[in-house]
Amino acid sequence: MIQELYNNINGNYEEALSRMQNDERIKKYLGFFLADTSYEDLKKAIEEKNCDMAFNAAHTLKGVCKNMAFTALSVVAEEITEELRAKNFEKAIEIFPKVTEKYNLVIEEIKKIM
Amino acid sequence: MKKSTLLIADDVLINREMLKDIFDGKYNILEACDGEEAIELLDKHKTEIVLVFLDLVMPKKDGLEVMRHMSLNSMIDKIPVIMITGEATVETDIKAYEFGAADIIYKPFEPAVVRRRAKNIIELYQHRIYIEKELEIKTKELYESKKKIEESNEFLINALSSVVEFRSLESGEHIQRVKAFTRILLNHLKALHSEYNLTDEKIELIVMASALHDIGKIAIPDNILEKPGKLTDEEYEEMKKHTIYGCQMLEKFKQEDNEFYRYCYNICRHHHERYDGRGYPDKLKGEEIPICAQVVSIVDVYDALVNKRVYKEALPIDEAYNMIHEGKCGIFSPIILECFDYAKEDLVKATNMYLQNQEG
Repeated sequence: MIQELYNNINGNYEEALSRMQNDERIKKYLGFFLADTSYEDLKKAIEEKNCDMAFNAAHTLKGVCKNMAFTALSVVAEEITEELRAKNFEKAIEIFPKVTEKYNLVIEEIKKIM
Repeated sequence: MKKSTLLIADDVLINREMLKDIFDGKYNILEACDGEEAIELLDKHKTEIVLVFLDLVMPKKDGLEVMRHMSLNSMIDKIPVIMITGEATVETDIKAYEFGAADIIYKPFEPAVVRRRAKNIIELYQHRIYIEKELEIKTKELYESKKKIEESNEFLINALSSVVEFRSLESGEHIQRVKAFTRILLNHLKALHSEYNLTDEKIELIVMASALHDIGKIAIPDNILEKPGKLTDEEYEEMKKHTIYGCQMLEKFKQEDNEFYRYCYNICRHHHERYDGRGYPDKLKGEEIPICAQVVSIVDVYDALVNKRVYKEALPIDEAYNMIHEGKCGIFSPIILECFDYAKEDLVKATNMYLQNQEG
């Protein structure tokens, strides 16, 4: 079930398992991810055109995704983080829908198993 | 054994939980969601916390501010900080180390690596704290035994020099006074004339050595040493040899490289030289006379003048000063005379203290 979720979202199940020991624990963390606000923070900062806040939120999202082994989402999160670090705000706005798309997929899949 | 405490400061729950799981059961865990909370917990638990995991980007106060607080409150040397960061960029790494981080770990966490690094760093810091404490204890012990040795040295030198005093009958506390006056004069000389390179340590050695200036008198026959009246020329020539006898005794225990030995030797031999070259035993002239001997020489003369001897009454201090300045009791260098004048107030105080003790 958990492995299937990782397959569907292009994550790395083996990595997640090695970090979190077992499915039960991974599930606990998936629950935490639902409650994590960094995507919402990023969305708000993009809308408000606040580059520094957007950078912090993207940076946090990227870190969390790496720890969760959400490979596909962490790749786009990293892309937008680097654009924001370089203050390329227009470029970040361009990338943001991709982030939203991957993020929504992850949330959808998590909700299915909860 | 009491479990040690870890502080995890990160605003993201998932990151905190993952670290907690990594150290599950092995440590007490404190959590902070922002920099302010981290500082609060540090202040409250600084004696229990053995390691801090610190996120750089946090609300209220960021990681760097937490480390600044730790530096200002001298925690950074005792509590290691492992910085948590999303990626390896050279600038954040350098900044973290500059602020005193012990190590940096990157997301995603590798449990085995994080555990091992934490263990190594905790051990390293605990070991260092232990070594520093040990060093402090050893330093204190060393200082105390050095002090004891110095005290027994001083005791032995006092005992040795009082042997001579005892025999010559005339000067009860002469040696203690010579030491006190020598210290006073040397301190003024040090302040006024840096060319003599005097230090507090050197002054203490010279003061100690001054106690032995008349050690050679032990070899002078009783009939000369204890004679109440004036000495014949022949007797006087023999008496003058106490400077040589003293050195002969010291030479049997020669320690060529020893500063203290050299002061003892020079003072014994040269405390009756005169600045004009007409003293004894070597007729040294001017600055050929070691400065320690010059100082003890004037102090010896001064003390003889202001105290009662079998052959004379005590002179008032002012009169003693006049006689010394007029060259009636030996010739001294202008520098020594200048210091002697500057030191007058201190010398008067010390002299009166000793005279009072004698009466009392």
